[in-house]
Amino acid sequence: MKKEFFALTVVLFIFVIFPASLFGYQRWRTNVDPVRVIDLSANAPASGGWVPDTIRVNLGERVRLRISSPDVVHGFQVPALGISVDEILPGHVEQVEFTAMRAGRFPFACTRWCSADHWRMRGVIQVIDPANPNPAPQKSAPPLYQQLKIDIDAMHPAANVPSARPSAARGALLASTAAGDLRVGSPSDVFANLRADATLKSHSDSQLWDAVAFAWKHASGDAAIARGRELYARDCAACHGESGQGDGLVGRNLPGMAAMDSSMRRGPADFTDAAQMLGASDLLLQGKILRGGMGTGMPEWRTLYTDEEMWDAISFLRSFVFDYK
Amino acid sequence: MTDQRLELTRIPLVKRILASRWLQWSLIAITLPVFLLAILTGFFGTPAGSRNFGIVFVWIVWWALLILVMLPFAGRLWCAVCPIPAPGEWLQRRALVQPRAGGRLYTLGWKWHRRLDNIWLQNAAFLAVALFSVVILTTPFVSALVLTLFALVALGTSLLFERRTFCRYLCPVGGFIGLYSQVAPIEVRVKDHALCATHKEKTCYVGSDAGYGCPWLIFPATLDRNTYCGMCTECLKTCPLDNVALYARTFGKDLLTHRGRRLDEAYKAFIMLTCALLYSIVLIGPWAILKETAYAVGSPAWWFYAIFFLAANLVIVPGIFLVCVVLGKSIGRIQGATRQLFVEYAYVLVPLGLAAWAAFSVSFVLINLSYTWQVLSDPFGWGWNLFGTANWQWSPYWAGGQAFLQIPILLVGLGAAIAVALRTAREQRASPRAALPIAAFCLAFTWVMVLLIF
Repeated sequence: MKKEFFALTVVLFIFVIFPASLFGYQRWRTNVDPVRVIDLSANAPASGGWVPDTIRVNLGERVRLRISSPDVVHGFQVPALGISVDEILPGHVEQVEFTAMRAGRFPFACTRWCSADHWRMRGVIQVIDPANPNPAPQKSAPPLYQQLKIDIDAMHPAANVPSARPSAARGALLASTAAGDLRVGSPSDVFANLRADATLKSHSDSQLWDAVAFAWKHASGDAAIARGRELYARDCAACHGESGQGDGLVGRNLPGMAAMDSSMRRGPADFTDAAQMLGASDLLLQGKILRGGMGTGMPEWRTLYTDEEMWDAISFLRSFVFDYK
Repeated sequence: MTDQRLELTRIPLVKRILASRWLQWSLIAITLPVFLLAILTGFFGTPAGSRNFGIVFVWIVWWALLILVMLPFAGRLWCAVCPIPAPGEWLQRRALVQPRAGGRLYTLGWKWHRRLDNIWLQNAAFLAVALFSVVILTTPFVSALVLTLFALVALGTSLLFERRTFCRYLCPVGGFIGLYSQVAPIEVRVKDHALCATHKEKTCYVGSDAGYGCPWLIFPATLDRNTYCGMCTECLKTCPLDNVALYARTFGKDLLTHRGRRLDEAYKAFIMLTCALLYSIVLIGPWAILKETAYAVGSPAWWFYAIFFLAANLVIVPGIFLVCVVLGKSIGRIQGATRQLFVEYAYVLVPLGLAAWAAFSVSFVLINLSYTWQVLSDPFGWGWNLFGTANWQWSPYWAGGQAFLQIPILLVGLGAAIAVALRTAREQRASPRAALPIAAFCLAFTWVMVLLIF
């Protein structure tokens, strides 16, 4: 009986004391060091993407993310919380700490072109306010392209196309002439307005296009264009190509607009196509970036880009048809 | 493949250890907390598989030990120390170590249905796990759920049925462990069959004050293969004539025994072989789309994957093999039923399949084994650092040298498979040429594995 009693004691220890001591130790640790550790595994999308892809933390909680990659180099960014890890090398563990100071859902994403499906590598940090764990969803105004009913799936070719690439520098000479809301109207619209102005009759089409280029550059500002260039290199170039011609390596097999209409261009948009780019208003481009292209392969960026980043990216896109030097 | 063997129980220390009633309990007392921790970390720990004890210890460490060490060298040793059926068995016995009088069991004692006295259910259970394995192997919660399900089914079966019915007929792992344990150079067997015949009480089967009747529902005197021997050593304890022993023997000795060869076991061999091939394609092949599809359980693409997966296991590979058997039958002008010949030849796949699994396992085990140190210190991924190894970086072991292990393993498996095929042809009184199609099948399979692994 003594032997059985001993064996039974050991088994009870395994089933009761052992688990209790594990959870007890964690409880004690949490009291001593209130930083909550969360492991985040960055897997290529084909292997499951972010694990976990939803991280729930409490408002005010101090969190340490331990991010590792089992396959290729990834990046990590939570734009709305200002958290970023530039490089997660396979085998290495990157740690980043933050305190969630406002409740809400904050998307995060990989910032390295880890695979053809890189853009699908996204997740959400959900910061929950224990006092109000289920807040009513905030209603935000629909984006302007929706308010203005701009059909972003239709082609908007420019009515006017310059014979040469307009130069913002030359256009500075006519700085006072360019006017109008540059986000609502397309460059082609603005050019048409200038051309219709009798006082500008003496100026050639080319000069007026230069003025339009200047207007866009001036409205954007050099800093925004520079930030847009960085965003483009990080998030867009793999598909749309470094030159903006829609010839990026990752985008080669994407259907593009042909997914909607077989007569349309196949593959990512060509930003050097003056007819399309000059016919598109900034709002139209914003809509495409916000929502993404249904079935075209273009991801949505609404959850990852701030408004400012969105406009910065669009500012840079204009440089493919306007000479901003 | 000669019939030489060495009685290990002649060594007093070995005999003493095996005869001790504490042996099995002590080993389970080690594996049980590990199993429990694997379940707890799966349910409550980090969902990041590579940082979760449950995933790393079950699917990397345990798997490596099972496929690369235990199965080829110790047969069903794992079954003797497996913690899954232990609670049920203890409840059946109402004892943990000491035997009840007469080896009595406290269970409803239902008999397993005769029609299910085979491993078809184990084949189906393994296929079910294999079909979802990409998810099970990488998702701690799902993995813990599956392990818990195994434990609950084992417990329920122990309370309702006699002895280790779960291990014998239901355990998805037990089926292939039994099949591949035929290769191991170790066996528990009676010493003298004539002596058994004189022993009327048959305590090795019915139990005695010294121990329980064979939990695996085997009459040890008829044991001629490792397939259904759980190596629990109860028969060593209950035999009053000291007529059961542990032997070291030549590798693959059981493959020389034809008695008891069955279609369900043959299919187990096909399933294991096909799964090794498909895992190599899906998990370590360069086709991300396949891995992605295997993950996307329930999607239209996954249904195609599932249908192909099952068809490959149950129809395509056995079908190709059947064509080889029919060709061999024709070449060797072998008389007799094709079905029986198909079953006989299927045992060729035992060494071939084990080698394929070992080679496949080497590739991911060496790459992922370094995660072990992290999860030992921080099993839940909660930020612990129990042994100071929580922040050790992942680093593949012997990354450039895997081929030096894998190629010899595959070649040994191929050689053994062809040897078994030639022997089978000889036993059919056919010329060695009759084994050519089977040998070609084995060669083609090995070649594909080599291409996939490298």
